[in-house]
Amino acid sequence: MDLANGGGKIGVNRKWNWPLWVGFVVAVGGLFSYQFFIQFPSTRDFPWATLLLFGIGATLLLVGLFRAFGRPQLYRGKVFGSIFLAISVLLFAFFSYVTFYVLRQVPLSAQAPRVGEKGPEFALPDQNGKSIALADLLSPNGAVLIFYRGYW
Amino acid sequence: MGFAFPLLSDADAAVIRRYDLLHRGAGPKNVDIARPAEFYVDASGTVQWANLTENIAVRARPEQALHAIDAAKGGRRD
Repeated sequence: MDLANGGGKIGVNRKWNWPLWVGFVVAVGGLFSYQFFIQFPSTRDFPWATLLLFGIGATLLLVGLFRAFGRPQLYRGKVFGSIFLAISVLLFAFFSYVTFYVLRQVPLSAQAPRVGEKGPEFALPDQNGKSIALADLLSPNGAVLIFYRGYW
Repeated sequence: MGFAFPLLSDADAAVIRRYDLLHRGAGPKNVDIARPAEFYVDASGTVQWANLTENIAVRARPEQALHAIDAAKGGRRD
């Protein structure tokens, strides 16, 4: 089949541009991967694994787009490849916004107890309804206080 | 549930406020909850370690707390 002279048959004869599809799937998977990677401190504290997936997806998408625009007689994907890339960029922007901005919107807590200060006294009910004061927890080794958000 | 530690409930966030750890509107239905925070308070009641995260998804790891306790005790484990 003479692709170079395909003329009106171009749309039928062009090859499947797989990097566009694989790149798009990897980029979408990258967004959802953080649901998994957030369970492990090493991939949560800095989301390198998720960013790596976005990077692989972007690379494949760009390879596919270079093919589609560079050799349009051979490869499909100028239109849907561009749409895939645009969607992937939006997903990446959303992920970055949440991870690097929203999750970092924590209060200043300027009055929180500092090292060397006394821990403010309290008494609160435990899981059995019994009231526990800070002083009850300190002997003999001190206590680790963890303020947990409860529904994370 | 077999916890080896007390799990205290601060339903009206009074102690959370006293420790200045309130995160306004961050809970479900915009209720006020605690920001994540961890402290080690020694036997005399003095804070020896305070960990206020800059990212609510990033919490102290158990090793950090153990290290802080060891450091406060001058390397003793008892």
